[in-house]
Amino acid sequence: MPELPDWIMIIVRSLILLIGLFFITKWLGKKQISELNTFDYISGIVLGGIVAIHSSTLQFPLYYALFAMLIWFSIPQLIKFISLKSKTFRDYTQGKSTVIIQNGKIMEDNLKKEGYSTDDLLHQLRRKDIFNVADVEFAILEPSGSVSVLPKKDHQPPTAKDLGLQLAPHKEPQTVIMDGKVLLEPLANLSLNPTWLETELEKLNVSLENVFLGQVDHNGQLTVDLYDDQLAVPSPTEMPLLLATMKKCQADLELFALSTKNEQSKQMYEKNSQRMQEAIKRVERYLK
Amino acid sequence: MTVGSDVRTCLANIKNIEATLETLSMQTNDHETKKALNSAHDMMIQIKSDLTEQLHKLINEEPQYKQ
Repeated sequence: MPELPDWIMIIVRSLILLIGLFFITKWLGKKQISELNTFDYISGIVLGGIVAIHSSTLQFPLYYALFAMLIWFSIPQLIKFISLKSKTFRDYTQGKSTVIIQNGKIMEDNLKKEGYSTDDLLHQLRRKDIFNVADVEFAILEPSGSVSVLPKKDHQPPTAKDLGLQLAPHKEPQTVIMDGKVLLEPLANLSLNPTWLETELEKLNVSLENVFLGQVDHNGQLTVDLYDDQLAVPSPTEMPLLLATMKKCQADLELFALSTKNEQSKQMYEKNSQRMQEAIKRVERYLK
Repeated sequence: MTVGSDVRTCLANIKNIEATLETLSMQTNDHETKKALNSAHDMMIQIKSDLTEQLHKLINEEPQYKQ
């Protein structure tokens, strides 16, 4: 195409190379820019250079650029492949993590080796909401440059296990309405159908067109956000109400047991009160 | 309020609980939750049968409470 003016050639080349660059970046994977290893970084710069030079220098044919890009695309792929196979190679190319606090004591030698100043360390700890080095049990400097911190046990937030709480299993909610439109696939995942959804919306007294976002949790409870923020949507009350009714019945049964004079009835009431207590215990954590 | 009507109210509440438990256990898609709700549901049935029997007894003892 030598008859075309240069400026058109530059536009065409730039667009072709941009598309090539886009696909290469896509194929290189989903890593964040900050997580790139040395080779990804180098090849990124070189790819950029190739594209810049060849889109403005017209004396080289276009396939030079595409060929060079292919080579620089293959290098990080090859490195990645070898890294997956060999731990030694990985340690060398991606770097190893360095322990900087162990058993609550700062390893000054390791800090010095990594060129990490005390201020850097304090800065990184503060980013993890730790202001006192004495609260840290273990800290490690990752190859990416961030610090991972394990606080001492008494400075960790308590987990449900620490508190001895038994919690109901929790599954991800499904989004079933978006911008006033029903999404059929998530509904089917919960083995529900649009008719069910219509009934639930009717219970909440809202129309489908008015719903901006609707989600169903694993217990089949629908929560919605409306376009009109002035409207108040009732929050689901079925489960708390059930628990409250169960507790009330249990109290009633106990009351009957206390007030009756018939020994046989008393025993019957007491037995059933205990049954109710047991039932409450079994379902309580699922209803909260 | 008489004992008879109190028991009657309680029985109605138990029936309500039983039905709600069954609905919830049908709605949930978590196996563990379903099991817990079903076991509570079975207990409600037991309590219900005991209370129904008691109610019959009360009605026989005190016919004036029969509504």
